[in-house]
Amino acid sequence: MTIDYSFIWVAFKEILKAVPLTLVLTFVPIVIGFLIGLAVALIRAYNIKFLSQIANFYVSFFRGTPAIMHIMVIYFGFPILLDYLIKVFNLPFQSNNVPIVLFVITALTLTAGSYLSEIIRSGISSVSKGQIEAAYTIGMNTFQVVKRIVLPQALAQSVPNITNLIIGFLHTTSIAFLVSQKEITGAANIVASKNLKFLEAFIAAGIIYWVITLIIEALLYFMEKKAKSYSRNAF
Amino acid sequence: MGKAFDPILIIEFLPTLIKYLGVTLEIVFFSMIFGTIIGIIVALPKLFHIPIVRQIVTLYISFIRGTPILIQLFLVYYGLPALLSIWNIDITRMDALYFVIITYSLSHGAIFAEIFRGAIQAIDIGQTEAAYSIGMKPLQSFFRIVLPQAIRIAFPNMANSIIGSLKDTSLAFTIGVMDMMGRGETLISSTAHALEVYISLSIVYYVIVLVFEKIFKISERYFNRYQPHGISSI
Amino acid sequence: MIEIEGLKKKFGHNEVLKGINMHVEKGEIISILGPSGSGKTTLLRCLNYLESPDEGQIVIDDVLINAHKVNKKDIYQLRKKSAMVFQAYNLFQHKTVLQNVMEGLVVVQKKSVNEAKEKALEVLQKVGLKNKIDAYPSQLSGGQQQRVGIARALALNPEVILFDEPTSALDPELVGEVLEVIAKIAREGKTMIIVTHEMNFAREISDRIIFMDNGVVIEEGIPQQIFTEQKEERTRQFLKRMTPELDYSI
Repeated sequence: MTIDYSFIWVAFKEILKAVPLTLVLTFVPIVIGFLIGLAVALIRAYNIKFLSQIANFYVSFFRGTPAIMHIMVIYFGFPILLDYLIKVFNLPFQSNNVPIVLFVITALTLTAGSYLSEIIRSGISSVSKGQIEAAYTIGMNTFQVVKRIVLPQALAQSVPNITNLIIGFLHTTSIAFLVSQKEITGAANIVASKNLKFLEAFIAAGIIYWVITLIIEALLYFMEKKAKSYSRNAF
Repeated sequence: MGKAFDPILIIEFLPTLIKYLGVTLEIVFFSMIFGTIIGIIVALPKLFHIPIVRQIVTLYISFIRGTPILIQLFLVYYGLPALLSIWNIDITRMDALYFVIITYSLSHGAIFAEIFRGAIQAIDIGQTEAAYSIGMKPLQSFFRIVLPQAIRIAFPNMANSIIGSLKDTSLAFTIGVMDMMGRGETLISSTAHALEVYISLSIVYYVIVLVFEKIFKISERYFNRYQPHGISSI
Repeated sequence: MIEIEGLKKKFGHNEVLKGINMHVEKGEIISILGPSGSGKTTLLRCLNYLESPDEGQIVIDDVLINAHKVNKKDIYQLRKKSAMVFQAYNLFQHKTVLQNVMEGLVVVQKKSVNEAKEKALEVLQKVGLKNKIDAYPSQLSGGQQQRVGIARALALNPEVILFDEPTSALDPELVGEVLEVIAKIAREGKTMIIVTHEMNFAREISDRIIFMDNGVVIEEGIPQQIFTEQKEERTRQFLKRMTPELDYSI
């Protein structure tokens, strides 16, 4: 068994085409998940009754199960739910018309939301009680306190954790290949199977992930520094 | 896309799947043990600034942190036999389980190394100085004073890592390991009730994670007994 | 009993100790005064080899170390002769008060646990913390922590105890209790070298005062002489700046 070094390059060029899909699968869930996470974190921080129980279960369950389960359950479950709704309301389309990538994005968004809510919550709890009391004493209402005092500090505090989450998510998208998405791992798998050169293809894929990780890390490191200087100015 | 959804099956599948929990826990257990050993060995060159070895170790950690576990799994599964064939060692027939344990050990080794290093560096230099001032030698100071405190700091991160690894085992089936997830896949082939199988699997993973979390929380309280209450970690 | 000759230490290009000579008799209590950055703390840390000097010679009792030919064995021997009380206490955070004091006795002096415990209780009694033996450092006030630090040093029964600004991390109201303990040990005839900013305390407790600035010993003598009849202008300037503020007495 020998390694065909030139094929690594061939595979590399082929797999590179799949990078945009990987980035979409990484960032769309993070961005939408951020909004979910923010809402969930506030619901839990302010202990809104009934809603906070649901929020607690959502966070605990999604963080307590592998992401592949979320993808699979939604991949198999959504069409069933959709077909049921179509039948009940007599809608004029079919569930097989929905592209699979939407299921994957939905699943990953819910996953991201649960992790982000935990990150934001720990950011919120790092804001000192004294500051919040001080804000109330100068006459702010709760909404103003949250928006002007709590969240800016909580989010600045969250940046390093969010960086880690983004990298983690970049890697998590690799499991989308199991539902035949042609992202980096999926593309590698196709090139590999076609030419029966698995090792070479996955070496190429590994390098691509690695480089993207380093780029994202560098960018976020730069932003983190900005966020820190902002936080110094702001407080 | 399978047959009509039948919630009863979710319950009925549970016992079949739980029988294979042992394999899942085996992967977690062994990759933790080997990962810890690798982690300690890998942390040393960076802590003691040993040239060259330190650069190699940094590259290894960066690669592991820069690639998905799935890719690492494939690289070991296809790469290790190729590598060993150079010395005429044939492991192509080795049980896929071993490839999984090797991959996860290497992966955890890198992550643990970073956790250990961070924890050891977080211990105030004054602790070492105080140990020296009462006449301790470097090894005594490290094992009696620095390490016990570092373990407390490292513990929450290690606990997270172990829970992450438990969830990561769900990918071992991709190279043909018959763990809980692998058994689930065969159940799907034979019954065509994919959704029920995945919900069933989710329940088992969730419960195991909750149990692990509980155990870790209790252990953490023990590690933190000398901390002012309320502060769980740095 | 302690003899320091030509001690020099550089950090990068910054020469912190520029050839220190010093002599301490058994049972003597020495205070080292001087502005921050004058090298007092570095001198103390060199005595315990927490910093290795670049040049010079240190003798404590029958252990001699020359900066040019040190080996590990000598360093351990030297450290066994002295004990240090740190500015930031540096108590072992994962051990109780009793364990902190016993640690050196058991691990370094190889005493049996019972013997070590007996000794530890004795010194903890002396520093007034016998009721806190099972507390962890994080549960104590700064003053209590520093008293444990003193007990830890005292338990080893060293030839000399080195105090590195033992009260400068403390809240003003806690300084008194620590100084009181140090004075008590002083009265028992222990050899001590104290780096401090507590002028009144130094004046009352010391047999001799050494004034340092810029890495050299400017002046030394009995307290009376240093505080009232100083020969050097720099000493006078320093004391003028420091003395109006002192109001903690024992």
